[in-house]
Amino acid sequence: MIKHDVVVIGGGLAGMRAAVEAAERGADVAIVSKMHPVRSHSGAAQGGINAALGNREDDSPLNHAFDCVKGSDYLGDQDAIEAMCEDAPRQIIWLEHRGCIFSRLPDGRIAQRPFGGAGSPRTCYSADVTGLVILHTLWEQLERFKVKVYEEYFCTALCVEDGVGSGVVAYNLRNGELELVTAKAVIFATGGLGRMYAKTTNGYASTADGLGIALRAGLPLMDMEFVQFHPTSLKENGVLLSEAARGEGAYLLNADGERFMFKYAPNKGELASRDVVSRAEWTEILEGRGVEGCVLLDLRHLGREKILERLPQIRELALDATGKDAINEPIPILPGMHYAMGGIETDKNGATRIPGVYAAGETACVSVHGANRLGGNSLLETIVFGARSARHAIDHIKSNGQVRPSEKTLKSEQDRMSEMLGRSRGERAPQIRKRMNATMSKNCFIFREKTQLQQAIDDLRETREAMKSVVVMDKSKTFNTDLVGTLETQFLIDAAQCVATGALSRTESRGAQARTDYPERDDTNWLVHSLAWYTDSAPRMDYSRKVTFTKWQPEVRSY
Amino acid sequence: MAKITLDIFRFDQAVDDIPHRDKVALEIPETITVLDALEFAKAEVDGSISFRRSCRSAICGSCSMNINGVTGLACKTPCNTVLRSDGTIAIDPMPNFQPMKDLVVHMDPFWDKYTRLKPYLQPPDRDEDNPTERRVSPDDMKKLVEVANCVMCATCYALCPVVSVDPAFAGPAAIAYAYRFVEDVRDGQTKERLGQINDDYLWLCAHCYACSYCPKHVEPHDRIVDVKRRTVQESVHMNERGPRHALVVNKTIKQTGMLGETEVIQGTVGRFNIRGLLKVAPLGLRMASKGKLPPIFLRPIPKVDEVRTIFESLEVPTLK
Repeated sequence: MIKHDVVVIGGGLAGMRAAVEAAERGADVAIVSKMHPVRSHSGAAQGGINAALGNREDDSPLNHAFDCVKGSDYLGDQDAIEAMCEDAPRQIIWLEHRGCIFSRLPDGRIAQRPFGGAGSPRTCYSADVTGLVILHTLWEQLERFKVKVYEEYFCTALCVEDGVGSGVVAYNLRNGELELVTAKAVIFATGGLGRMYAKTTNGYASTADGLGIALRAGLPLMDMEFVQFHPTSLKENGVLLSEAARGEGAYLLNADGERFMFKYAPNKGELASRDVVSRAEWTEILEGRGVEGCVLLDLRHLGREKILERLPQIRELALDATGKDAINEPIPILPGMHYAMGGIETDKNGATRIPGVYAAGETACVSVHGANRLGGNSLLETIVFGARSARHAIDHIKSNGQVRPSEKTLKSEQDRMSEMLGRSRGERAPQIRKRMNATMSKNCFIFREKTQLQQAIDDLRETREAMKSVVVMDKSKTFNTDLVGTLETQFLIDAAQCVATGALSRTESRGAQARTDYPERDDTNWLVHSLAWYTDSAPRMDYSRKVTFTKWQPEVRSY
Repeated sequence: MAKITLDIFRFDQAVDDIPHRDKVALEIPETITVLDALEFAKAEVDGSISFRRSCRSAICGSCSMNINGVTGLACKTPCNTVLRSDGTIAIDPMPNFQPMKDLVVHMDPFWDKYTRLKPYLQPPDRDEDNPTERRVSPDDMKKLVEVANCVMCATCYALCPVVSVDPAFAGPAAIAYAYRFVEDVRDGQTKERLGQINDDYLWLCAHCYACSYCPKHVEPHDRIVDVKRRTVQESVHMNERGPRHALVVNKTIKQTGMLGETEVIQGTVGRFNIRGLLKVAPLGLRMASKGKLPPIFLRPIPKVDEVRTIFESLEVPTLK
C-alpha cells in the first residue's frame, strides 16, 4: 500500500503546481500520473498566460476580472474570478523567480501580448511554447523538492470512507497491478476531455479520467454543456494554431479574401472571444464562403522575422500537416474542440462536496470561465487553483488528522478489472469510442438543436450499454494501454452524457452553448450552474447552484 | 489509400526471453504519420501493440522510436517519407534503452541524467529581494528559449554512439539542459553546474553530430560545444584531460599550423605525469618501429600568421 498525506492525481500544470505548493509547505505529497509529468498536455499550450502585470499598458486585476466575467457571458462566479485575477501577478512572479523562461521587453521585464476578449495586452508568453516552459519549470521544482511521482500509474477510482476522501486506486502500467494509494487529501488535476470528439486540439491523454472517477464517487459535474471550440485548428489533424497568431495581428479571411470578423465583432474583429469567432467562422463556412470547408488564417503581413521569432512552433505544425508555409501562404483552419469549461464542481478553494477531495485545472469547474473561457486563462487557472487547492488541502489535513484506509474499493476495482480482462467475445473499446466521437461531433457541436441533442443522448446511451460487454484484446500485465484505453473510453462516455444532457436541458444560448432553437440568452431563468449527477442510466440534472455576483450585473455582450 | 505493412518489434519483459516481429498489413492514406498508422493498427487489428504517445503534435516527446533504423518522433514522420520500396516500415524501440513492451522502453536512466544536474534555478540572491521579475534582456532570454524547445524525447540520447558504449556519459539532452542553466543570467551556480557536467563525462562527446538530428531544432551538438567552451572560459576542471586536450590541440595548431601530436599527448596526459606517459609509451615505440613517430619539434608552416589570425578572430581560448 502506498501512503501519503496529499496525493495529486495528474502531473500537468495544475497537478505539479499543487504538489510544489504542498512540498514548499513541507507536506508529504506525491503525484500519481498516467504519464511522466513532462508528457502532459499542458505542454501543448502555446499562446500564453494572463496576468495584469501592466508591463505594456496600465492594467489592473479588476480590469482582468471584468474581461473574464464578460467573456464568461456572466456565468462565471465573480468571487472566484476576482480571486484568480488578484493572485495572477503574484503567480507569474513566482514562476519567474523559479526560472520560467518568459519572453522579455527591451527593458528586461516580462513581455505581454494582446489576446482575444482582453481589454489590454496582458498575456505573458514564451514565443509560442508557453505551456512547455511552465511545465518544465514546475517539473524542475518537483526535482528540487524530490517529490515522489508514481509515473505511469492510471487512477481508476476514488476511495471514500464515511463520507471522507481517503485515497485512490491506481493501476500500475509497468506490472499490471492495482494498488491502494491512501491519502488524507486527494487533488484531482487530470485535465480535459477532448477525446470525446472526433477532431480535437487535445492529445490522446485528455480522456475525462477525473470526471468519470468523481461522477462515480458521487460528485456532481458542473456546467458540462460548455465546450470551447477553438477558432484556429488544423483541418488535417485538429492540431492547435495558437490564438497568439491573431494576438500578433494575423487575419481571418473567407473565400472572398474578406476579413469577415468585423461583420460579427465590429470593435474587436479577430480578437473577439473564442465562442464568437468560432461561430462566425462556422457561419461563413455554412453559408458557402469557406475554402474547402475551412476559412483562412493569414500571417503573411507579419513578416518572416516576426513569425520565426514569436510563432515558430505553429509555423512548423502547419507546415508539417498541410505542406503550407505560413510565411508565404494563408493556412486553412476551422474551429476544433479545445477546452471544457465544465468539470468537477468545486468552491473557490478547489474543494468538492466530499471533504478531503479537491480538483484544479481543466478537470475542475470553479467556475472562473463560466460559459466561455478567454485565451490565456487556462494556464492561469491551473497555476492559481493548483496552489490554492494544495493550501486548502493542507489546512484540511491539520483539522482532520486521520483516515481509515479500507481495501473495499481496491477489491471492487480488482473484480471489475479481472471481469473486463476475462471477457473474450464482444466489441472492443476503439469501435465504441468511434460511435461516441461521431455523435458528439455531429450532434453536439458549435450550433445545437433539440432533435440532434436527443440523438446524441440516445447514441451515448447505446455506447454505454455496449461498454458493459466490452472486450480488452491485450491480456498482458506489462504496459497494457489497451486496458487503459478501455477505462478511458468509459470515463469519456460518462462525461459525454453530461455534456449532451446539459446541452439539451439548457434552453438558452450563452457563451459556447449556441442553441439554434433558443438563440437568446435568458438571464431570467438561466443564471444558474448546471450540476450533473451520476445515475445508472443518464445523468440527473440539478440547477440549485446560483451564479455568484460581486460587482458586475449582466449586460448585453458584444465585441 | 495505400497498402502499408508495419513490421513491428514485439516484446513483453514479463514473459518473453527474446523479441519477435509482427507484420501488420494496413490500408491507410500514405500521408498519415507513423503514429497515426500505429494507432490505426492498434484500434483495428491488434490491441496489444504498445507504444507511448500523447500530444501527436511534437511537443510532448512521448513517441520517439526507431523508424527504419533511424530514431525520431512517430508523430512527426509521415509514412510516405519513410516507406521502403517493398511497402513496409520497420518500427523498433529506441536504441540505448532497455525495452519494456514492444516500442515502450525503460526511460529511467535518461531521467537520472537530468536529476544529476540539479535541474532547477539557483539564483545568487533571494526571491524576497526581487519584488517583481528579475530583469533579463530579450537576447539573453532568446538563447534560453531556443533550448527550451527541447521536449525531452530522447531522440538524441538514442542516437548517441557514446551513450551506447558508455552509459555514464550524460548524453546530448542533459548537456543541452545544463547549458540552459549555465547560460541563464539569473542562475548563480555556473561553476558548480559546469563541474557536474564535466563529472558526467562531457568530454567524452566524440562530435559525431548524430544528435544534430533533433526533431525540435535544439541542436544539442552545438550546445555541447558551448558548454565545453564555457568550461574552459570558467577554468573549471582544468586538470582533467578533456579541456587540456582541447587547449593543447588549439595551441599547437596556432603555433605551427599543424597538429603537434607529440605535444598533444604530453599536454593531455601531463608533462610530469610519468605513469600516464609510460602507459602511452608502448604505442610510441610501436609507431617508431614502423617509422611513423610524429616529429617531436614542429617547424611552423609558411604563412602561419594567417592561421593565427583565424584563431584570434574566433576568440579561441588559449592555454594559460
